[in-house]
Amino acid sequence: MSRTYVDIDGRSLPLSNLEKDLYPSYGFTKAAILEYYRRIAPFILPHLHDRALTLKRYPEGVEKEFFFEKRCPAHRPAWVRTAEVVHHDTEPMTMCVVYDLETLLWAVNLASLELHVPLARTDSPGTPDSLVFDLDPGDGAGIPECARVALILRDLLSPMGLVSYVKTSGQKGLHVLVPLNNKETTFEDTKTFSRAVAGIMQRHYPDLVTARMAKTERQAKVFINWSQNDPSKTMISVYSLRGRDRPFVSFPLEWKELEDLDGHSDPERLQVVHSEAVRRAEEKGDLFRDVLVKKQKLPHL
Amino acid sequence: MAAQGIWNGTISFSLVAIPVRLVTAVMPGHVSFHLLHSKDYSRLARKMFCPVEERAVAPDEIIRGYEILPGKYITMTDEELESVSPERSRTIEIIEFIDMKDVDPIYFDHPYYLVPAKGGEKAYQLLVEVMGRTNKAGLAKFILAEREYLVAVTSKDGALALTTLHYSEEILPDGDLLPKKVSADPAEEARMEKSIKDMVADFDPGKYADGRRKKIRDLLDAKVKEHALVEAPAMAEKEEEGPADLVAALEESMRKVKESR
Amino acid sequence: MAGATIWKVIIHFGDTDVPVKLHSAVKEERIQFHLLHEPDQVRVRQQLICALDKQPVPAEEQFKGFEVGEGKYILLDPEELEQTVPESDRKIEVHEFVKTTQIDPHFLDRVYYLEPDVQAKGYAPLAAALNELDVSGICTWTMRKRSYFGALQASGKVLRLNTLRYADEVVSARSLDLQKVPLTEKELTIGSELIEKLTAPFEPRKFENEHQKKLQEMIDKKARGENIVVMAPRRLKPTEPDNLLQVLEASLKKAA
Repeated sequence: MSRTYVDIDGRSLPLSNLEKDLYPSYGFTKAAILEYYRRIAPFILPHLHDRALTLKRYPEGVEKEFFFEKRCPAHRPAWVRTAEVVHHDTEPMTMCVVYDLETLLWAVNLASLELHVPLARTDSPGTPDSLVFDLDPGDGAGIPECARVALILRDLLSPMGLVSYVKTSGQKGLHVLVPLNNKETTFEDTKTFSRAVAGIMQRHYPDLVTARMAKTERQAKVFINWSQNDPSKTMISVYSLRGRDRPFVSFPLEWKELEDLDGHSDPERLQVVHSEAVRRAEEKGDLFRDVLVKKQKLPHL
Repeated sequence: MAAQGIWNGTISFSLVAIPVRLVTAVMPGHVSFHLLHSKDYSRLARKMFCPVEERAVAPDEIIRGYEILPGKYITMTDEELESVSPERSRTIEIIEFIDMKDVDPIYFDHPYYLVPAKGGEKAYQLLVEVMGRTNKAGLAKFILAEREYLVAVTSKDGALALTTLHYSEEILPDGDLLPKKVSADPAEEARMEKSIKDMVADFDPGKYADGRRKKIRDLLDAKVKEHALVEAPAMAEKEEEGPADLVAALEESMRKVKESR
Repeated sequence: MAGATIWKVIIHFGDTDVPVKLHSAVKEERIQFHLLHEPDQVRVRQQLICALDKQPVPAEEQFKGFEVGEGKYILLDPEELEQTVPESDRKIEVHEFVKTTQIDPHFLDRVYYLEPDVQAKGYAPLAAALNELDVSGICTWTMRKRSYFGALQASGKVLRLNTLRYADEVVSARSLDLQKVPLTEKELTIGSELIEKLTAPFEPRKFENEHQKKLQEMIDKKARGENIVVMAPRRLKPTEPDNLLQVLEASLKKAA
């Protein structure tokens, strides 16, 4: 196993297996993956601050087995910060929290291609900073159908005074986020609200939307997974890579891109690959910045 | 008639892979009732109820747990369950072919049909026809709803039928049911055979109907004539969706969305 | 040993009466799981909940209603329903005998073993006759407030009772609306050869429930706090219709 040491801010970070190709059918080595995360760091770090990290590790690459790791690996440098998190059934668990570039690269070096975080911060685990609509297409549906649903959601929420933001999941669907960033809104509130929205969407667009998880209900429809609004659930962080055949990124989109999709049904059109992610972020900045700072309140609760 | 899709995946034999859907082969025939609350005739629904929060919980708030010690559970997500036997949860791999005549019908559990998914029609038809020609059935392992079944895939009336089978250890032995010594009685056997031969006919299952179903239908028809109907309170459905204010506001907003599109 | 006696009854046709006892023939085993409410892992139980007040409703407040329109029902009270229940009459009435091969396997539902009760002199001759003539007795009976329709069959010296589904409960292959696709004689010939090559005798004892074992291992691993590896289900690439013949030929080569 080859090892290199990198010096960041006076801290020494060991990196290993840099030449290992973790995306064999595409060609993307560990070194290149670390380089991606180094360049996207200014944009991803604010979204990882104060959030308990779940690693998704692909030690032998995306075509082999993966596993989730919630407990912060015991063999970690002393400077990796952690938080004690209570999970429903057990005693508090020590989880990693990423505050800086070296911790980010340390995690990625463990082949954690994907970084998953909860909707709430570690200091206030019962109050989410945003509400999410996880749009998951069933068999026979894809990103174009999710885009339709996302646009309807945006137009539904806007007269109620709520601004929303959209990103690709990097897999098959889209995530629509409604920033809240206030101390009073609980997961109970976001779950009730998102569930009510999902129900209305299904009622008015029954051929396009389902609010029910059962696989038999999902054929050719988009499932609005409102149950993701839960303290125990995590989601892929914006700007994280995905462990699929090509290194797509969970990337913020402008609403105009979804509007322009009409008529073009190439499902990959909205997907953003790593190199494009870096270029677009460096050019336009963090389009998801407002998800972290914009304060909104859910009405009628 | 739309066939209900229970599962979809691929069926294979050697290098041939056919995309298929599993559909029901059996439709329950009993008269179905709804249960109503005697107080106000509102509908009763079977739901999973949490005794601590004292409310019904939705399917997506529910997770499966295996009790390892009293009150201590190990939970399993759908993803984890699907990965227990990942090579079999989306694939029915025919391991060998057998002569159905060799299979004691006691092994049969539940029948289904397989229908081809888009693109698989030709290979599907091939399997149906060659199993028909050779009079064989395919034997495979299959995972449905977290249970692993041994299944027989047969050619039936131009379609592929899939029947789950019981495992050998699930078939109870019948060796101890008969008395040890039974002497044969040829005269009695001959008499029995004659009795039976006098009653031989062709199998016509349409002749047999469930008597109770008919009685219930007659009863219902009589009541309709008497105009003896009750009505359930209308608001029942909407409550499900959320707090009334929120639902009303969303409906108003949705109206605007539809107007502008 | 066969399961405990479920019921005692008399098989009747013409002058023949054979008293028998019913036993289960099949025993299923599976890992039991409970359903838990995710956040607090409290066990949830299925209850009948009132749509209006959202609370469980006791049995005495539950009425059966048959829906005739949106929100409109015909109420049936328990006494009226009781009157439709058939009388249980301890008799399996055999109406006719049919060639066993005429019974479509999709009609077969549950199977019971029959044990001769005392004074069951006709049991052995009946089993022998059914075997000799290769027929099944089509019969009806009532058990525990339900009417059944079934087939009486012999397997070796033991009599079995198979419950059958009613004709309107069995879906016909025709209703699947399958399109017919033309196939070449070559494809059919090679396909048939392939099947013959892959044919083996039916030996059910060869097969074990491996999934059950793996599931138990995964539960044990989780209980020890170990990471479990989640693997995506394997999906096979479907064979293209234009490639079918080639794939069949390659399979045949592989099987040889």
